[in-house]
Amino acid sequence: MPLNRTTSGDRWRVRPDGPDKVTGRLPYLTDLSLPGMLHGRVLRSPYPHARIVSIRTEKAKAIPGVCAVLTSADVPGLNRFGIARPDQPVFCEDRVRFIGDAVAAVAAETEALAAYALTQIEVDYEPLPVVDDPESALSPDSVKLFEHGNVLHRSDYGCGDVEAGFAACRHIVEETYSTPRQMHTYMETEGGLFVPEPNGRLTVYAPTQHGFMDRMQLARILNRPEADIRVVSSPIGGSFGGKDELNVQPYGALLALACGRPVKLHNSRWESVRAGLKRHPMKITMKTGTDEHGRLLAHQVRIVSDAGPYSTLSAEVLNFAVEHVIGPYRFGAVKVESVSVFTNNGMSGEFRGFGGNQAIFALEGQMDRLAEKLGIDPWTFRLMNMRQPGDPGPLGQPIAQTDGARQVWEALADCRLWKEKAAAGNRSETRPPWIKTGYGAALVMHGAGLGVGIPDPAGGRLTLAGDGKIEAAFGYEEFGQGLIASLEQMLIEQFGFDAQDLRIVIGDTDAVPDSGSSTASRATSMMWQALKRLHPPFATALRKQASRALGVGMEKLVLGRGGIRDAESGSLLISYGELAKTASEPIVAETKFAYPTSPVDRVGAHYLYTYASVAVKVEVNTLTGRVKLLDQFHAVAAGPVVNPQGYLGQIEGGSGMALGFALTEDAVMDKGMYLTRNLDTYLIPTIAELSGGFEVLPIEELPEGDKHGPRGVGEIGSVGLAPAIAAAVHDAVGKRVNKLPIDPALLLEKPVFLNKAVEWR
Amino acid sequence: MVLRHEEILQSPSVWRPRTPEEAVARKRALGADAVFAAGGTLLRTRWEAGTEAIPRHLIDLGSIEGLSGIWLQDGDLAIGALTALDDCLNDPLLGRHAPIVAQAIRTIAGWSVRNVATIGGNIVSRTGDSLPALLAADASLVWIGEDGERTEKLADWLSEPIPDRARVRLLAQVRIPLGGDDSIANAKRFFAFHKVGRREAFTPSLVTVALCGSLEPDGRLTGIRISAGGGQTVPARLKRAEELLTGRMPDPDALGEVYEQVAADYAPAPDPFAPDMYRKLTAANLVVTELWKLTAAGEAAGGKEGAPCR
Repeated sequence: MPLNRTTSGDRWRVRPDGPDKVTGRLPYLTDLSLPGMLHGRVLRSPYPHARIVSIRTEKAKAIPGVCAVLTSADVPGLNRFGIARPDQPVFCEDRVRFIGDAVAAVAAETEALAAYALTQIEVDYEPLPVVDDPESALSPDSVKLFEHGNVLHRSDYGCGDVEAGFAACRHIVEETYSTPRQMHTYMETEGGLFVPEPNGRLTVYAPTQHGFMDRMQLARILNRPEADIRVVSSPIGGSFGGKDELNVQPYGALLALACGRPVKLHNSRWESVRAGLKRHPMKITMKTGTDEHGRLLAHQVRIVSDAGPYSTLSAEVLNFAVEHVIGPYRFGAVKVESVSVFTNNGMSGEFRGFGGNQAIFALEGQMDRLAEKLGIDPWTFRLMNMRQPGDPGPLGQPIAQTDGARQVWEALADCRLWKEKAAAGNRSETRPPWIKTGYGAALVMHGAGLGVGIPDPAGGRLTLAGDGKIEAAFGYEEFGQGLIASLEQMLIEQFGFDAQDLRIVIGDTDAVPDSGSSTASRATSMMWQALKRLHPPFATALRKQASRALGVGMEKLVLGRGGIRDAESGSLLISYGELAKTASEPIVAETKFAYPTSPVDRVGAHYLYTYASVAVKVEVNTLTGRVKLLDQFHAVAAGPVVNPQGYLGQIEGGSGMALGFALTEDAVMDKGMYLTRNLDTYLIPTIAELSGGFEVLPIEELPEGDKHGPRGVGEIGSVGLAPAIAAAVHDAVGKRVNKLPIDPALLLEKPVFLNKAVEWR
Repeated sequence: MVLRHEEILQSPSVWRPRTPEEAVARKRALGADAVFAAGGTLLRTRWEAGTEAIPRHLIDLGSIEGLSGIWLQDGDLAIGALTALDDCLNDPLLGRHAPIVAQAIRTIAGWSVRNVATIGGNIVSRTGDSLPALLAADASLVWIGEDGERTEKLADWLSEPIPDRARVRLLAQVRIPLGGDDSIANAKRFFAFHKVGRREAFTPSLVTVALCGSLEPDGRLTGIRISAGGGQTVPARLKRAEELLTGRMPDPDALGEVYEQVAADYAPAPDPFAPDMYRKLTAANLVVTELWKLTAAGEAAGGKEGAPCR
């Protein structure tokens, strides 16, 4: 049954944070102000690559109203940050490596004064040659960004003998696929308020996807104990991976401590584009072959990923791409080589889909091309080569078995849009000859969790607080995905509580346990797991306390709306407020565990997978080469739907981002400088692009005995749409797309009526 | 030192003249330090992008009476330069007498911008997307300067290589001739406007084309005007394509020639996001297709999607 408001019935709930968000009433952290606060600004490099000869801050410091001007000399701890490998300078010492590199920061009484002070910091640069192409950065005679060279990370994988495999192939397809430097384009740009507290601690109000990771990184930079720092990190106006890494936090923290006053920083969109992360542009070359029947015999892949100047999570993204260029198919032999390369382009980093978007665009492109060579229906071709129940994962690793791939395959074959495609074979629609429609589909296998070898903690806490509220504390963040709503719904449905009984506490390192990061499609499934573990001890503790207070046997008591109820009649026996009063101390249940991983020694290999299939209908206007998405169908096999509205929202939202990736979005760079510096040239889809049909079919069934419950859906909606669109464009006009966003010039056609004598009167 | 940076941090002074003459005199007095401002939407993007400095003086035209609104005057449709784009769209006179202009305005920026941006601002930018439509409608501009009121053809003003910066004047109106539509009732008048950007809405243009003319009862084309612009291109009429069509039927030969002519004569200003060839061929495609729609075959195939014909 398609997922929508009607089919969800009572499970379709108004989000607790919804009304304030849609009316604009909700204050984000970057809306916070304090009396006496200063305004911070960061001086960034005007060059993509240069040596810093000297920095003089005296003039800026002398301006009345300027409280601090900081450079690398003022960093008490590690002058570096980076979640996985801290190699990005807080302040550059002697060299800048991209146009967003920070050189100095100021705090001043007003925003305008801070901006002026930046102009008074004197930096002498000696420009260096710009390394702007990852391929040439790999050549031995390239300028090196680091002493150790320009290679950030390599990840190879092999299985079987590809040479022998290709020798046995009847059909071979070779293609190179290129993907854009996509920007997260969150509504709220990076920023925060940084407050030195009277007790000597520092409170950081700044969006992030993992408060405890920010706290650790800030402690390292500030050279203070982590316990001296409190990170408040929700609510967030969008992140999509882009705020997982530190951004302005080091500057806000250093300035606030230097001045002993609160400091606010908030990037303009211009600065956000310049300094912020983007999706890794990748060039993926694939050679894939089959025997005469269409069985995949060999698959050879080379991935070159443009990381920009520093590491952040580029190695992890590359590992993910390696896994996902193999995906849901059985190959006789596989050989993948990949490299993530340092360049003087903008910073690349974590982004919804995490390297899977690029990988699957290429992989699905190969499937369509091979099917065409074989003369087999492309969807049937996928089924012929699909991994079977019991098969290992893409890297040969054990995985949690589901029938997801086959389920989403069948759902698509049976969907309205695919039937429409079959019926459209004898097209009778009257439309102008320059408008051509086509249908396409793609299959996605997407790993969730951080994978083998990366600490991936989870946990949570339930408390009956002194005021009678059931407090659910998790170290996760709300950045628009509907996390609060999902948590509330699970507490209501699993425990029987009423929304009024609950207080949800997230995004505050002083108040929540470390639940790991809100990334990698993991938060919902980890909350579900945590609540499953917390249910028996917490419910028992509440019932035991009620039994004591009421003098009634525990077996007669159940948790319900408003309080403990009679198991038989359901009548309320004692409210949670009264129950709390009878307890000498709060009743608490806490759990700690880790995201499940595959028992292999392959860093990043995943254990839990979500599957999706996407079908689309597009229209190509051959007069302008422009592509319009008319209709889409998504089948998603991710276990039970925790929160219907959140689930639908994730697939719709992910698809919207994927549409931008496919058609309009690219942060274009020229010699290390952004050409798209603002949202007037960097174009995300508008309602005009997103107005077509949309259907989501969730497949909730899991194999009997599955212990893992709901899988994440935060990313998967953003993965399959682009290859499906590319296939549909081919169906419409017969041209293969190997580069995103799709170039309209490729699809332009001279009107047919110019080429033949037409009956014109 | 203190004084200097305080001066730098100062916001511009804002002047609010009550009459066009006062505005012109103020600009003359303040010279290059002053800038006329209407909706301010384009100025703001330039300040933010750093392509123009924030001036020391802004002369806000919003308090001048008589510069906004749409009315009929002397056989023309007159549009006050200070009329907000959204007000233009809501005006029944514009919809009736210059639907091609309304069609173009509908594609400019987004709702919030059209609420404050003015038609005059779009025109004096010299690259606004209303311009190709206004060119096709044979519009004129009414200026108020130190020497009084002056009217000139939009096409003439746009073909000036560089506007004379020393000449202080204010755009007061744009005038569109109504045309004697009733006297040539047998001719089928047609018009079309297309904007192609990198997105479907709220986008800078890559290519804009506008055309209008009449199809006589004998099947021949008369009164053809074709214009093209897009991005940083100053829009211009494509005269050779117009001449080539005048008195001809839109047969395959004529369309083939027009296709080549448009591609040859349309000279878009370079755009970092699209090659010139794409823009030339797109403009040529759109122009010939609109002409083909006038044919029986075209009407049958594309009539439903075609521009409204009157």
